[in-house]
Amino acid sequence: MKSAGIEQYYIEISCSNRGQINSILSGSFIRSEFENASSIFNPCPFLEGTLEALALNEALLMEGMAIQADGTEFFTDVELYKSQKETLVLIHNRSNVYHYVKELNQGKNDLFFLKQELDKKNTELEKLRQMADKANKEKSRFLAMMSHEVRNPLNVILGYTELLSKEKVSRKLEGYIKNLTVSGRNLKVIVDDILDLSRVEAGKLELSNDPISLSSVLKQIEENYRSSHKDQKVELIFNSSKSLPKIVLGDDVRIYQVITNLLNNSIKFTPQGSVSTSIDLISSDEKEATVSFKVSDTGRGMTADQAATVFEEYKQNELNDNRIHKGAGLGLAIVKRLVSAMDGEIYVSSELGVGTTFTIQISFKTVIEASSKENPKEPVLQENHIKGAKILVADDNYLNRSIVEHILKREEADFLLVKDGVEALDALKAEQFDIVLLDINMPNLSGEDLIKQKEAYEKENANTPFIALTGNSSKQDIKGYLEVGFVDVIPKPFSSAQLVGILNTNLGH
Amino acid sequence: MIAKKVLLVGNFGVGKTSLIRRFVLNEFSEDYISTIGVRVSSKILKVDSTEIKLLIWDVAGTSDDEKVPKAYFMGSSAAMYVFDLSRQETYTNLEERLALVKQLSGLKEITLVGNKKDLLTEDELAVVLQSISTHIDLVTSAKEDDNVEDAFLALAKQSLN
Ligand SMILES: Nc1nc2c(ncn2[C@@H]2O[C@H](COP(=O)(O)OP(=O)(O)OP(=O)(O)O)[C@@H](O)[C@H]2O)c(=O)[nH]1
Ligand SMILES: [Mg+2]
Repeated sequence: MKSAGIEQYYIEISCSNRGQINSILSGSFIRSEFENASSIFNPCPFLEGTLEALALNEALLMEGMAIQADGTEFFTDVELYKSQKETLVLIHNRSNVYHYVKELNQGKNDLFFLKQELDKKNTELEKLRQMADKANKEKSRFLAMMSHEVRNPLNVILGYTELLSKEKVSRKLEGYIKNLTVSGRNLKVIVDDILDLSRVEAGKLELSNDPISLSSVLKQIEENYRSSHKDQKVELIFNSSKSLPKIVLGDDVRIYQVITNLLNNSIKFTPQGSVSTSIDLISSDEKEATVSFKVSDTGRGMTADQAATVFEEYKQNELNDNRIHKGAGLGLAIVKRLVSAMDGEIYVSSELGVGTTFTIQISFKTVIEASSKENPKEPVLQENHIKGAKILVADDNYLNRSIVEHILKREEADFLLVKDGVEALDALKAEQFDIVLLDINMPNLSGEDLIKQKEAYEKENANTPFIALTGNSSKQDIKGYLEVGFVDVIPKPFSSAQLVGILNTNLGH
Repeated sequence: MIAKKVLLVGNFGVGKTSLIRRFVLNEFSEDYISTIGVRVSSKILKVDSTEIKLLIWDVAGTSDDEKVPKAYFMGSSAAMYVFDLSRQETYTNLEERLALVKQLSGLKEITLVGNKKDLLTEDELAVVLQSISTHIDLVTSAKEDDNVEDAFLALAKQSLN
């Protein structure tokens, strides 16, 4: 007994073993395709070649056979049974089931290809990223190297300019020298900025984590500007909140740099009015204090577009700014990077014609240490120990040597100049010195190697302090020099005040 | 005229349906419509003055260690194993895969075809071919109608052996 409905889902056909239809045995699925005495290979091309090969008296199931009928494609499962006299063909319409199989299968395969595309794109992306990274590192390295190379001759120029400015010369020359000084200093600012930026980018910036006083930093800045800021039309206001923790752990040099950069930027763009700098406490607990630094001006302000790109490198509000205002426009880019290096954040809000406010938020670890120096960086006035001191100076660069010579002459030191490590070693063996200034990079024998040969000059100079003169002045470098036996490091380029200060300190001990 | 049943097998998406469409209808489509079950088409061709009706079975592609149902090979005279020159996973372990097809079909030889030649530069193609130790009968492009005819001719010749 078969129910009426199921008939249309199958058909059972008897045909000859060569495929000629004998009769329809049951079922009505696409019945009109199967005419008696015609070939079953026409509606069922998959049977051609298959029927002949069938083994006798063995059923065979073939799943998923496509059949075209009336312009429609059906998917069927086909059972075959061959005997001596006939072949029975049972065709089940499974289009419904195969419809889902088809969708699932298509989905699966499409997914595969999508994933493959994605993998390919990711690989390409990764390659591009690596290339960009490499290029960026190269750039930073190049910049660091360049500014290093530029610093040496710049040091010479600045040194000579300083010496010149102390000579009695004509009015005209005095003016020239002044211009030389200003341009030289500007150039130094730019070179220092580039070096800083490339250090930060190359991940080489090392922040110190010392006990510092934020209000002292601001006080120092204020004092600094009091002497240098001559513009009557712009008032500078400084304010640090009383509630700030006395001591926090941080890098005062970099905070000083950040505030100074913002301040310079504001002064640059404020023709008149005021620039006010304040430090406030936002929140604190036993361990941490979150502090805001704010620099706001009444300057010309920026559009939203300008504000959005203000921290990018080499951006100044107008192309011409570069010529009007000193610097290469790196100040804010450096600020941004320094602030991120301190895990802080910086925002800018600005209104055209009204003014701009930069706000920085940084969380500092606090210390409850009674013994901490309140004012760690304040300079101490010194007496002059250089006069008459016996000083050995070794530097292969003639110009560097002559700058030191001029300064030492002025300070009335008793000095000897030599031009490499070997000559320095000979001098150290021959007589005793009060202090030795050693250039690090010298031919024949480097300053570093020289100091390691202490036995050779032990007799005369066992206790003589050695100071390194070097362009390599990263924290890591300085640490290395101190480790091999230098007592101090004078970074190049240096001003005569710096050289005198360091010599004095070390001679005074 | 003699009729010969031949099968195209291989991983999904390597271009079996496309090769058949190019050979039978001289058409090509960039769309990928994955084959389900079996679709049979036929074309008459001449091999050394012998006319053959080639009954070409387009079989759903396999992945990983899926097998083509053994029943499909019943009465087959030849088979073509197609791989995708641009997809390494379709031609790793070719020896093993061919052995499996031989075992299922009882055929002694399988025509081996690398498709989608157009996706590779000459150098890339050389590298791929170098990496395959099995003898490849033909390198084709269904898209650019490159060597497709020859591939089916090789298949037909094999069906006569
Ligand atoms: N570039 C290029 N693409 C091709 C070629 N042959 C096929 N394709 C593309 O590859 C995809 C898969 O082709 P199909 O012919 O459907 O592959 P198949 O082997 O039948 O796949 P299944 O039925 O899933 O086993 C489609 O998008 C085709 O357009 C070729 O020679 N060159
Ligand atoms: Mg297909």
